[in-house]
Amino acid sequence: MIRGLFLPACALATLALAAGQATDQATVERGRKEEGRACLPCHSLRLIHSQRLSRAAWNKELDKMAGWGTKMQDRDALMEYLVANFGDDKPVTPPAMSVDGTGKK
Amino acid sequence: MNPNRRELFGAVLGLAAAARMKGSDDGVTIPGKRPMILHNDRPEDLETPLQYFDSYLTPVDAFFVRQHLPRPAPIDPAAYRLTITGMVSKSVQLTPEDLRKLPQFTVTATLECTGNGRVFYTPKLPGIQWGRGAVGNAEWRGPRLSDVLKLAGIDAKAEFLEIVGADTGLASTPDFVRSMPMQKALHPATLLALSMNRETPDIHGFPVRLIVPGWDGTSWVKWVTCLTPAARMSSGFFMNPAYRYPKYGLPPGTAARPAELEVIEGMPVKSTITAPVDQGKLPLAAVAIRGFAWAGENAIERVEISTDGGSLWHDAQLPSPKLPFAWRLWRFDWRPQAPGYYTILSRATDTAGRVQPFVPAWNPSGYLWNGVDRVGVTVEGAA
Repeated sequence: MIRGLFLPACALATLALAAGQATDQATVERGRKEEGRACLPCHSLRLIHSQRLSRAAWNKELDKMAGWGTKMQDRDALMEYLVANFGDDKPVTPPAMSVDGTGKK
Repeated sequence: MNPNRRELFGAVLGLAAAARMKGSDDGVTIPGKRPMILHNDRPEDLETPLQYFDSYLTPVDAFFVRQHLPRPAPIDPAAYRLTITGMVSKSVQLTPEDLRKLPQFTVTATLECTGNGRVFYTPKLPGIQWGRGAVGNAEWRGPRLSDVLKLAGIDAKAEFLEIVGADTGLASTPDFVRSMPMQKALHPATLLALSMNRETPDIHGFPVRLIVPGWDGTSWVKWVTCLTPAARMSSGFFMNPAYRYPKYGLPPGTAARPAELEVIEGMPVKSTITAPVDQGKLPLAAVAIRGFAWAGENAIERVEISTDGGSLWHDAQLPSPKLPFAWRLWRFDWRPQAPGYYTILSRATDTAGRVQPFVPAWNPSGYLWNGVDRVGVTVEGAA
């Protein structure tokens, strides 16, 4: 009896976890689109992608940007996207190099 | 200084250097610039790779760029006007020719972004993740700011000078407006530069750029269009809360009380190792350890090098002149006695006796990193 109860509970938990991850991934994807819509009008995205910040620090950055006129339609999703990809627990990626613009050979 | 983080970032820059050798994967070209470390392209935030630092004057095509706001459309010198208004005898509008008629002076000065080295702070901080290369040394030439202001006549009660550049913010982003005490504005080395290294690059703020030797790069306003003597310091974002530093030391990761943040002015003493390359390999033979050192409004008195992680220190040679405002190149000839891994450190002392610290004070915006510089190298034995 105990065994019978345990299995469905475990299965339910697994299903719930899977559903949660699916939701999270969908939210993160919405956040990625929101990033392009809200941030790109003023600056390129390297400025964001080079940083590794805590949730609290990203929240502060979004508040600053909102104060400077950024219109966010889906702030919560943008926040989840930033934390998921550029949180302070994520590895640092090397900055790119620009192409030679001097015209010299 | 967090060794793990330093090593990690060194490895990251090494990868970036490797990417450079293969060509950029992003295809972004900045006209007039060699391949640069691309922190951002719109607006441009470009860091100088260490391997370009091989001369006393940093060439314009390798000089770092920090833009807070989109670069304004190139200014036609024929249409350019500099307005001086506010607490003056008479408001005036000056042309480039008016500025050229004044006595011209050349000042060699090191320009450093206030956030240079931010990437080395732990905990991590928002802002451009500059490594070592948001700094450069150039010859700036133009009239003294004091001579320019005399053309309008400054009210003796004006204690500050507000400086406005032509760059404007998008949406509600504040315009770039700075303010400095009149005493520094009237300093004989403070110029309205009409050229750097005899060039007039738009990307660096010409036709007219403010030069504030020894002070943080944010004070060096680009594309200057308006000067306003005033009784008080301007209160815009780029003076408060931005570009302020805590008056008292803070535990890393904590916030400062706004009332205890002070405007950043003069820069600290600092040295940087440009060669050998961090995490590089060397043969068991003589090698020159090289770099540069600078100290805000002071001159560099001494640079010491350690090749054993800080147990023993040796004086480096300083072939450049000892001048305030400008960096000095330094060099130490080293002959490793055995193969193995070595930790090389550089430590500068200035003419006021300030010494570069091992652990710079963490601060909430990641400004003024000046920790003892460090590279690691592996000396390989004979095959």
